[in-house]
This record gives sequence, C-alpha cells and structure tokens, in this order.
Amino acid sequence: MPIRTTSPLSRLLRKSPFKPIQEHMRVTFNCICTLPQLFEALFEQEREKVLEYSEQIRQLETDADSIKNTFRLNMPNTLLLPVDRKDLLSLMADQDRLTDICEEIGKIFTYRDMEVPQELKPFLDELLEGTIEVSGEARKMIEELDELVEVGFVGGRELEKVSNIISGVRKSEHNIDTIIKRTREALFAIEAELKPVDVMFWYKIIGLVGNISDQTENIADRLSLFLSK
Amino acid sequence: MEILTAYGTILITLAIIFGLYMTWGIGANDLANAMGTSVGAGAITIKQAICIAIIFEFLGAVLAGGQVTSTIRKGIIDPTGIAGNPEILVYGMLASLLAAAFWLMIASTKGWPVSTTHSIIGALIGFAVVGIGPDAVKWEKVSSVVASWVVSPAIGGAISFLLVMSTRKLILDTDNPLKNAKRYAPLYIFLVGFIISLVTLFKGLSHLNIELSAGQSFTCAIFVGFLTSAIGWFFVRNIQENPSENREFHYASVEKVFSPMMLFTACAMAFAHGSNDVANGIGPLAAVVSIVSSGGEVMQTSALPLWILILGGGGIVLGLITLGYKVMLTVGKRITELTPSRGFCAELAAATTVVLASKTGLPVSTTHILVGSVLGVGLARGIGALDLRVVGNIIVSWLITLPAGAIMAMFFFFTLKGIFG
Repeated sequence: MPIRTTSPLSRLLRKSPFKPIQEHMRVTFNCICTLPQLFEALFEQEREKVLEYSEQIRQLETDADSIKNTFRLNMPNTLLLPVDRKDLLSLMADQDRLTDICEEIGKIFTYRDMEVPQELKPFLDELLEGTIEVSGEARKMIEELDELVEVGFVGGRELEKVSNIISGVRKSEHNIDTIIKRTREALFAIEAELKPVDVMFWYKIIGLVGNISDQTENIADRLSLFLSK
Repeated sequence: MEILTAYGTILITLAIIFGLYMTWGIGANDLANAMGTSVGAGAITIKQAICIAIIFEFLGAVLAGGQVTSTIRKGIIDPTGIAGNPEILVYGMLASLLAAAFWLMIASTKGWPVSTTHSIIGALIGFAVVGIGPDAVKWEKVSSVVASWVVSPAIGGAISFLLVMSTRKLILDTDNPLKNAKRYAPLYIFLVGFIISLVTLFKGLSHLNIELSAGQSFTCAIFVGFLTSAIGWFFVRNIQENPSENREFHYASVEKVFSPMMLFTACAMAFAHGSNDVANGIGPLAAVVSIVSSGGEVMQTSALPLWILILGGGGIVLGLITLGYKVMLTVGKRITELTPSRGFCAELAAATTVVLASKTGLPVSTTHILVGSVLGVGLARGIGALDLRVVGNIIVSWLITLPAGAIMAMFFFFTLKGIFG
C-alpha cells in the first residue's frame, strides 16, 4: 500500500519565507562584492578579467533570480505570516533590484571597453568600499530575520539590535551620498579632457553605484516596518 | 432475542474484528499526526516515538478512555424505540464500525484529510436515522459534540498562544536566554505531568475502582509533575552554549533545551490520543458486547469491561508497528518547520485540550486540535508561514465525512440485517 500522508499538519506548515530572503541576500552580497574586482580589472586594463567578472556577476544575478522566483511561487495569499505579506514581497523585490544594478554595471563594461581616468580612481575606490560596507550591514540586518521570528518581532533586546543595524545602514548611506557628490565633482573637473561619450557613461556608472546604497536604505526602511508595533 | 442467543458469539467476534480493524487504522494513520511533530522537530527518533506511543497510547486508553467510549457506545443513540429488537442496535453498531473504518481506508488511500472521530459519529447517526428513526438520535448531544469540534481547536490555539507568549517573556526575550531556558524548563515539564495527570485523575478513575477526592487528585498530580520535572531536569542540565551554532542562529542552544522537553509532550500527545481516539474503535464494540452478554438489554447499564480498553490500545499499537511508523516518518519529514520551542507549546496545548475533552466524554479530533494549536503559535507571530487553506480543507472534510460515514453505515446496516434476518 502506498504511504500517503493525509496529515493536514504537513500542509499547514509551509517553508519559512525568511530563509529564501536570507539566501537571496547572501547571493546579492556576493554579487556586490564582485564589483571592486571588476573595477580593479578595468583599472589594470585586463579585458579578459573584466569579461570574466561581468560573467560572474551575471551568473550570480541568475542565481538570485531563481531564488526570487521560487520564493514568489511559494507565497500564496492564504498564508498566515508574522509580518505583512506585501512587505515581504517588496523586500524581496528591493533585494532583487540590487543584483539588477550590478548586472547593469557589468554589462556596460562588456560592450564598452572603457578607460579609467587616473583622477577618478581614488574616488571610485572609496565609493566601492563604502558600497560594500553598507551592503554588508544590510546583509547583517537580513541575517537577523530568523532571530526576529524566534522572538515574534516583539520584545526589546533583539529589536534594539536590529534597529541599531538599521540606523547604521542609514548613516552609511548618507556618507556614500557625500562620496558620490565628490566623485561627480572630480569627474566634472576633468570632463573637458575626456571623450564626451565616456563622460556620459562615467556619470551613469557613478549613478548606478550610488543606486546600490539607495536601494540598501530602502531595504532597511522595509525591515523597520516589520518592527513597528 | 433468539437471534442474539443463536448468533451471539459470531456477532461478538465480528465486533472484535471490526473494532480491531478500526483501531488498527487509527494507529496506522491518525497517530502519526499526534506524534509527527516531535519526530519532525528532531526531538525524538522514530524508534523512541514507537516506544512512547506503545506505552502512552495504552495508558491513555485504559486510564482516560472510558468517558468517550461511553459517549460513542450510548451517548449518541437513544435505543428505547427498539427495546424489543436489540439485534437492530447490534447490527447498527457493527455497521457503523465497518462504515467508519472503510471510509477511513478509502480516504487515506486517496490522501484526504479525514478524522476518525467524524467518521464514526457520522456513521452512528446514519444508522440511527434509518435503523430506528430520526428521533433516536440524541440531537442535543450530537450538537454539543459538533460544537466541541469547533471549540476545541480554538481552545488549543488559545492555550498555545499563551504558552508561546510566556516562553517569549520568560526565556527568549531576556539577557541570557539559555540560562533562563534551563531555569524554566523544569517548570514547563512540571506543567506537562501535572496538567495531564490532574485532568485524568480528577474525581478518580471509576472504571478501575480508584476513588480520589479533589485534594488527593491534586496531590497525585503534583507528585507526577515533580517526577516528570526531575527527569526533565536530568536531560537539560548539561546543555551548554555552542558558539559555532549560535553564530548562525543565536537561539540554537536555547532550542536545544526545548528539544528534550518535546519528549514529554510527545508522551502527553500519545496519552491524549489514546484517551480520545481509541473510543472511536471500541465504543461500538463495547456496545455489542454489552447488549449480547446482557441478553438483549439495549440500555447498556453494565460497566465497560477493561479488556475492551486493552484491546483498543493493542489495536492502535498494532497499527503503529505494522504501518503507522512509516506514516509517522513521512509526516515528520514534512513538518520540520516547527522548532522545538514552538512544537513544545503546540503539543502541550493540544494534549491538554484533548485530555480535557476526553474527561468530559467529548469525542474530538486530535489532529484538528493540533492544527488549532499550531495556528495559535502562528497568531503569536511565532512561525514563518502557515497555510490557512488547511482550515478550509478541514471544514470541507467534515462536510463530506459526516454524510459519507452515514451513507456507508446505512448500506452496511441493511446488508447485515439481510444476512442475519
């Protein structure tokens, strides 16, 4: 006789949606961490490596996408969740936007063999370092989700801890805004010496890197909704 | 009358076979839900689950299974209308047993979530309506049973909600969760032993000739509570912080404390299941034995013989060791999302509710109460995701099971009547 379980319990208990969100964030973080290597290869004018890292980013983006899709398929609107379902879906969408941005940057470097102006290099390094830092904080914040489920999104200690990380993210984001401003100023100063189309693309790339931290702040805002009473 | 004297032994043998079949089915399928949570949480192995189930199903059936058996046996049907034809009631009870067992078999091969309790109640009503007449159904009793199917999961949910809140307050949301977990674990384990034994012993166990005053019951329950608590303390005392596991998940060590605690709730669940669900199989059997051995007395004034309770417990154990352990393994594998701290609360709440219902003589569904208790944990924002569609499925399964059991019972009743005359 085939063993068929008639247990309503196994249908009642769904896989936790927080696990895929955390997993997605880990992949996203890896994706963002590939950016400095990509830029480094560009500085060194190693075309092969640039293509290799772009490919790596594209691959990570695909991985993240498949996690996102499985996650969405497992979120019917009959679920009883500790937080609002729409907020969870938006959180995932926000995270997914991060890998999209990385992919877009990588793509530009594959179809456009760009040269990095020496004056811009220190600013870009600083910007990337800041971006890694803020997304590292965002990852730390997402890693706290299972602890938050354990305490049921209420209770002082865990919430305070997460709130601290959230305000850290906001602070870093603000910091990055000033770096971006300085990077743009540096680019503006040498604008006349560069090819106009190159300049246009550099502004675009600086903007895209800046979007990463903006998006990270959105994730922090989204998470703070879970903590509000 | 002559039919009973002529075929008495055959009828009793049939009742025993059908009763065993039904209890076998309960052990093979239904028990897995009650114990699967502990298996799924990794608190006990499948072998331990089998050992626990054998001991505590039996204890539950023998110590606390009497009242529900009595309800199934004589609480649903009023047989005064057929006092002159006691064989009708015997056929009816046999038909109900067979119908419920048969329906369960069909449902479980199809994978439908049906309840043994609902099947047997539906079957009894079905027989009574066609065999005696609609007036023979004690509708007020039936409505209180049906009401208990709605109320009991809600009570289970409310208790587990409160338990989850208390673990949060006392253990999880504190500066040193592990220390507090170890401090309060014996208290929670005490609660398991105390509540279950208090409800069971309250006002004594008349069918075992044990009379206890309220005070004596309390004393006994406190003693059992302390005993379980001492055993529990032995398990949790040496649990230490594990930094590498805690880095991944800060509450890993705390959950380790709850894991052995689920051993006790697993015992409680098996006990509760034995106290309530065994009656679905042996209630009609007890009725047949009583009518035949009293020479056709439909009011069944005789006490429930102990051997019937033992037979029922034995049938469940048989079902478990032949097939049930596989089902338990399958269920356990699917419900790993319930962590020990949540599983403990849900199981304690469910076991308490079921034993309370057993003591009141209300046949309820252990599985549905466990679903209610898990929902209580969910309402306390304690679980990642629960699919509420299950609630709808359960309601649909009621609406199908009651008439399905009834129609099959009618069919088997007329068949038996045709065979024996």
